[in-house]
Amino acid sequence: MSTTRWNQPKDHLVSPDGKWYWDGIAQEWKPVTNAAPPPRTAAVPTPTAKPQPVRGLSSFAGTIRSEDLAYGQTVLVWARWILIGTGLLLSFWTPQDLLTLQVQLAAIIALAFGNFYLHVQLLRGRPALDNVIYAASLADIGVVTALVIVLGGFSSPVFIFYFAAIVGISVAFPTLMTAGYTALVLGIYVVICLATAPAADGPAIFLRLLTIAAVAVCGNLFARHEAQRRTDAVRIHQELLDEIEQGASSQHNTAPAMPAPQE
Amino acid sequence: MPNAREVRTAAQASQEDVFFGQTVIMWARWSVIVAGIALVLWTSTNVGLLTQTMPFFLVLMAVNFFLHGRYVMGSPLNRTVVTAASVVDLLLITAIVILWPGAHGLNNPFFVLYFPVVFAFALVFTRKVEAAYTVLAILLYAGACVLTRTVPFDLGNDDKVLVMRVIVIATMGFLGNYYFRIQRDRLARASRGDRSTLAEIRAGLAR
Repeated sequence: MSTTRWNQPKDHLVSPDGKWYWDGIAQEWKPVTNAAPPPRTAAVPTPTAKPQPVRGLSSFAGTIRSEDLAYGQTVLVWARWILIGTGLLLSFWTPQDLLTLQVQLAAIIALAFGNFYLHVQLLRGRPALDNVIYAASLADIGVVTALVIVLGGFSSPVFIFYFAAIVGISVAFPTLMTAGYTALVLGIYVVICLATAPAADGPAIFLRLLTIAAVAVCGNLFARHEAQRRTDAVRIHQELLDEIEQGASSQHNTAPAMPAPQE
Repeated sequence: MPNAREVRTAAQASQEDVFFGQTVIMWARWSVIVAGIALVLWTSTNVGLLTQTMPFFLVLMAVNFFLHGRYVMGSPLNRTVVTAASVVDLLLITAIVILWPGAHGLNNPFFVLYFPVVFAFALVFTRKVEAAYTVLAILLYAGACVLTRTVPFDLGNDDKVLVMRVIVIATMGFLGNYYFRIQRDRLARASRGDRSTLAEIRAGLAR
């Protein structure tokens, strides 16, 4: 990246009182604190600079990282609220027996408390630690598994809640973690099915497992594509800034991030 | 200071959404095809059954070969064709739910095929289109269950199961599109190079 210092105070529009300058990149007035405004491109990063804990450049990188987890956390939280709401509704709809209802409600309410905490953290702008999110997703899987077992294993209709859990995981977690969690769900569910399903239901089990895996693949594939698109967008923006710094003409103000579809 | 921060137009961004999204939809469709063909081959007990059920998936496979081929060649189809192909997915799955020999309507295990299809679609299209598609999927499935008279409407267990499945189909659409909108916002900020994004870039460069 170029280190040409074109953005000295004289290069900026300064307010009549001399206390503000116009930042053309941010499109706003900024206070003139020192002799020179802060370098616009931070072309000389210092090795001792402390990395930002969240939402750094890594959120624009081609692989899914912690920042993506923070963004994907909202999806996880909403998926969990849907799971909780639906679970409560269905628990009170033709309950089977007292023990089953007790187990269902205890699991769902515990999940609700945990999700409330995570949601509050999000609303306060403090996404939870990665490990907490990973643990919460394990809890989701645990609760769904408990409900599946309590309600009869293979014949239980609540296995479809695995889909909601996997959707959040697939878009929020890195590929390896997504693969791990999906494998865990598939492993648990296949064991439950083998223990509780008649032999003739093999095709139905296969179908359920395959579609759970398909949802995980689709979600993670999309998340990876989006990360790649952001990388391209940032690269183009940086190249543009470099051109401007080097005094290049403004003829190339637009550039597609990728070839446009022909149809 | 030249206004040089916009790197793509809204139309370009929309086209890119379809371009990148197509691959997700295609992979979802491949999962439906693989599941269907495997089950047809697995469960068929005679030649007649096999010849009745396999054409569903052969049609879908031909469609997806065409779409995937176009995508690989760098000339993916436009929004209308992608939408139409996705509607065909729903119709075909509904036909399977209604017509599959042995288990119809609510008792048919193929209802799970709605989930990846609706989810993939929701990752590609805007909220209104996605909502319409999800509602269509719900109506088709509920209609299939009603048509096959497998839902008694007595607020009993079968009704409960149907409601549960419908909620999860809606959840697939909602969560997929919610994530899609989050990603649109992030991409727009990255493309625009607004102040927060530049700060992120600087922070990242300092690493």
